[in-house]
Parts: sequence; structure tokens; C-alpha cells
Amino acid sequence: MTNHVIEVKDVDLNYIIRHGRASTIKEAAISAIKRINLDITVNALKGINFTVDRGEVLAIIGHNGAGKSTLLKILSRVLPPTNGVVKVNGTVAPMLELGAGFNPELSGEDNILLFGVLLGNSTKSMKSKVTEIAEWAGLTEHIHLPLRTYSSGMMARLAFAVATFQKSDVLIVDEILGVGDAEFQIKSKAKMLDLISHGEATILVSHDLSTVEDLATKVLWLDHGHQKMLGPTQEVLDAYRKA
Amino acid sequence: MISNYDSSARTNYFSELTTYLWKQRDLIKLLVKRDISVRYKRSVLGLLWTMLNPLLTSLVLWFVFVAIFKPKLADGTQFAPYVLAGVLLMTFFNQGFLAAAESISGGVGILQKVYVKPQVFAVASSFSSAINFILGLLALVLVTFLVGDGISYLAPLTVLVILCMLGLTIGLALMTSILFIRFDDSKNIVAIALQLLYYLTPIFYPKDILSEKVRLIVSLNPLSSYLDIFRFVFANTGRATAFDWIYMISSSIIVLIIGLAVFKRSWAKSVVMM
Repeated sequence: MTNHVIEVKDVDLNYIIRHGRASTIKEAAISAIKRINLDITVNALKGINFTVDRGEVLAIIGHNGAGKSTLLKILSRVLPPTNGVVKVNGTVAPMLELGAGFNPELSGEDNILLFGVLLGNSTKSMKSKVTEIAEWAGLTEHIHLPLRTYSSGMMARLAFAVATFQKSDVLIVDEILGVGDAEFQIKSKAKMLDLISHGEATILVSHDLSTVEDLATKVLWLDHGHQKMLGPTQEVLDAYRKA
Repeated sequence: MISNYDSSARTNYFSELTTYLWKQRDLIKLLVKRDISVRYKRSVLGLLWTMLNPLLTSLVLWFVFVAIFKPKLADGTQFAPYVLAGVLLMTFFNQGFLAAAESISGGVGILQKVYVKPQVFAVASSFSSAINFILGLLALVLVTFLVGDGISYLAPLTVLVILCMLGLTIGLALMTSILFIRFDDSKNIVAIALQLLYYLTPIFYPKDILSEKVRLIVSLNPLSSYLDIFRFVFANTGRATAFDWIYMISSSIIVLIIGLAVFKRSWAKSVVMM
């Protein structure tokens, strides 16, 4: 048994990209006969190794396309690693993309219900939380209206409230510190910090290096899918800034 | 909540999936409810449409074929409930199968953001079609009484037909969803195959009018057995042979198992293709 909250060992992830032509049965048949492979394999992640222990906050940094979001998806169990092993001890609350899975035809209330249940809660426990979530997001008056009538700010507030209402052991956060107007940004950031301080471990992706400096206990620097550096926050950030 | 994930763990796929689906029964219930309410929210007739739709389809078929066939089939069966039974069961199959396949291929966006086993969506879509079918049965009861026939005391056995149909549609949908994800043109091919299947199922014609060769082909279509049994148990029309029963139950189980196995093998490859 391992004592790590998260353990990632030799993880690779390959995406398969097919050019428009290859995505029809006809083209697939022709390319099979001609013995050419139209699929292009892209190594989005190569040889990733790290562990996260109790109380640690790991920040993942790197340029666009470095594989940060892909790594979060693997940790959230959405993508299976091509090679290697991922182990997570404890419950995981993935906050990958706010509002994913929302249905514009349903009311705010029904969306809260559906999303909460999608994350594995029971309908009953969600029903008792709907009012609380709506109130926190400041949407009590609109909660029975269909989502398509919401402004984008209201949508963001609802999405944030739904994503953060439950406590879990491991938090996986993709750049969602602070959404909505100025007032709600302060509120949501405070909520986020509260969740991080109460969780067992946190993994966060951020382009805002000062946030990383404030929150992270260690940093993983990804470069084109490779693990460029892993270490204490200050050390990695210094090297990253120089590069 | 996802807990204790180990990507290298080797567990028993079927028992793990069954446990998972049971745990997610709240989600399935909610998805079914959403399916039904979104589908009918914007129509004035609301849920009534569920019953009206197969009735109108049958009316068209009845209108066309009564002019050609005699109003009663050779063995004295009334044509109207005969057609409606066929339309209802075929709609259950078509709708359930396509909706379930598309719930996965069309839901890839969500499936890449929230961890849910995709099979949940297929199960929920098939269940909503089953509920539509059950609502349609009310229309069938009405039509059966209108033409002066009665409901069979075996009618509760329709549950068995529904269960087998669920297995068949879920199994087929899981295989097809992979096809839909990988190949853009596969939807057209599936649509043509479904059309062929429609004519190879005795929905609006009795099997007796077919030549021996064609009758053999129609009998090899498992849906013919489903339909024979459904008509027999529901209103005691036609016959259901032992072959029909064996064929219905075994086709459902076999297709479901193959579908689950194929899906398991192919999903990891398909989800990184988008």
C-alpha cells in the first residue's frame, strides 16, 4: 500500500488524430487495402512521474499545448492513460470546465440536480442542496427558469456554485479561480481557497504565476508533453521565468 | 463522487459495470425523466403525443393497406391492432437503438469532462423508449377494444418482450456508438440498414402472404420473433412458436454481451480520437 494521495507513474497519453478524409468508412477501407495508415498519433504526454501527499498543492504550469489539461483529464478518470499507472486514494472532485453537461432547455434547478447526480450524489441529497446552491450563486429568483434565459455571468456563477458545493479529498482545478463580476470574483476565490485548505490534496493548472506562488507547495513544469521540471515552487518558478 | 481510482486495477468488467449502473440508478432515472420532458415540453399535446404518434403512423399504414388487403387477415385477425402492434414495437426498437447510440456518440463532449461510464447514457435512452412503448400500449388497448377484440390474459408477459428488447437495443447501440464516433458516414449506412430491417419485419403484412424463400429471411430476422410473441401474448393474435421464444431471449442476451465486450475494447481508443 502506498501512502500517497496521488501517484502517477510513467504515464503516456497518445491522441489519435485522423484527417477529415480518414473519418469515413470508404476512406478507411481504401487505406486498409493500400496498407497506409491515415491516423496520426500525437504524444500529448510522455513519461510523467509524480506523487502528491497529504496537504500538498501541486501546480502544473507550461505553455499552451504542453499537456496540462490532458493530465488533469487523466487524473479525473475521463481519459485512460495509454501507458503507465494512475492511483488516487480518496474522493475526487474534478473541476475541468465549468458548465459542462448543462442543458439549456432545463431550469437552473434541474441542471443543479442533474449535474450533482452526474457526479455521483443521490437525487435526494441534491434536492435539499438546491436552494443553498442557488442562494450562494445569487440566483434564487431565476432558479425555475430555463438556462437559455440566463446571462453568461449568471451561467458562470451557477456553474461555479455547482462545481464547488461539495467537499472532497482531492481537488482538480483547471484555471477557474475567480469568475463573474468583481464582487463574485472575490467570493468565488475565497470559496476556492477554503476548499483547497480543507482538502487532502489539490492539483491546479494556472497561467497566473502569482496564484501559483501563493498556493502551490510544489510545481510540475510541462513542456510539449514532457516533464521538464518537478520541485519546490520557488525553484521551478525561477527556472520557468528564466526560460 | 469518484473514489479510489487505480488505472492498473483489473476488475471483473461485468460485475463492476452492474454495480456501477445500480449505484447510478438515480442518474438513470433523472436522464429518463429529462428525455421525456424535453421531448414533449414544447409540443402542445405533451405526453399525449407519445400515444398519438404511433396511432397516426398506423392510421397511414391502415389507410394504404386496407385498400389493398382485406380489412381482416386470412385467419380472421383484425388489421388495425395488428399494424399498431407492429408499429409500436418497431418504434421502440428504432428509437431506443438510435437514441442510445447517439447518446454516447453525441455526448462525447460531456464524457470528456465529467467521469461517467458511457453505458449509463445508453441504458437511460433505451429505458425512455421503453416508457414510450408502454404509453403506446394504452393506444393499442383502445384500438383492440374498438375493433371488438379482447386483451389476452397473457398480456403481462409483454414485460418479457420489453426486457429482451432493452438488451437487444443496448447491445446494438453500444457497438454502433463506436462506429458513429469513428466514421462520419456510418449514420447513413445504419439508416439504410434500419429501413431494410423495417421491411423485413412483418409490421403491416402477415407472413403467410410471403413466398417461402422470403418468409425464411423474414423469420431469421430476430425482430419477427419479438413481434410474433408480442402480438400473441398481448391480444392472442397469430402464433408464437418455441423457436420464437428461444430466438428472442438468446438474441437479446448474446447481442447485449457482444455489445458490452466490443464497447469495452474500443472505448479507450475512441475517446482519444476526438
